[in-house]
Amino acid sequence: MGIDVVGVRRMARLLEENHGIEDTLFTPGEQEYCRGKRRYVDHITARFAAKEAVLKAFGTGIGQRMRWTDVEVANTSSGRPVVRLHGEVAAWAESHGLADVDVTLTHSAGIAVAHALTVWADDGPRRESEHALSPD
Amino acid sequence: MAISETEAFTAVQEAVVGALGVDEDEAGPDATLMDDLGAESIDLLDILFRIERSTGIKIQAADLSTYIQGGIPDDEFADGNEMISEKGLEQLKKVMPQIDPDALRGNLEAEKVISLFTVQNLADMVAQRSNGGA
Repeated sequence: MGIDVVGVRRMARLLEENHGIEDTLFTPGEQEYCRGKRRYVDHITARFAAKEAVLKAFGTGIGQRMRWTDVEVANTSSGRPVVRLHGEVAAWAESHGLADVDVTLTHSAGIAVAHALTVWADDGPRRESEHALSPD
Repeated sequence: MAISETEAFTAVQEAVVGALGVDEDEAGPDATLMDDLGAESIDLLDILFRIERSTGIKIQAADLSTYIQGGIPDDEFADGNEMISEKGLEQLKKVMPQIDPDALRGNLEAEKVISLFTVQNLADMVAQRSNGGA
């Protein structure tokens, strides 16, 4: 299980002061979904929190050659968020026996929170990277 | 493009000040990014993007741990109890020369290592990258 909390104003400042960073952090689909919302930054912040929560649930931070866009939060037609993995993160998850990953998001009062829950085919190989040097 | 150690430090300090909203005095060479200055992962992203803008040197968040660990496999960098090994301490002394291995031997958890990373350590990394280092 992984959890992450991100301040919406902090994300807003990150986006404002670093032109182009959105393309590094978010897939075109994530950006498009959030642009359709009245509170764009709230939604994009929640997606960033979700990426962090998923990587924490994996027991690792973002590793070498992994991209932030390798963890994508999409939405079902009913609006439920679902995680899609790509690239190096997908390869890592597959090789370590990931069976399923689920995520919940919420944002209120300037804070976005995400929980990620992972289910593994077995409890062995994922533990090897438990001590990755990742910041909170 | 190679940049001097002084230029690297200036770029890093400016990035830290801009991203964290701290005073230049607070962002001195010995200040640790996480513990002393309170940087979180989103702040590190901000700092690294600012450094890229000012120097052209791209460092990703994942590069920090790779740089610190120096290519040593996880199971050699730390022991079974997640404490940094002797080999790990030797590596840390190379990239974080301010640490005292004797004081940390046997009681430095792997996940705490990043909390020892200072403004100067990041500047050294930037300077090394600008010279084509890993």
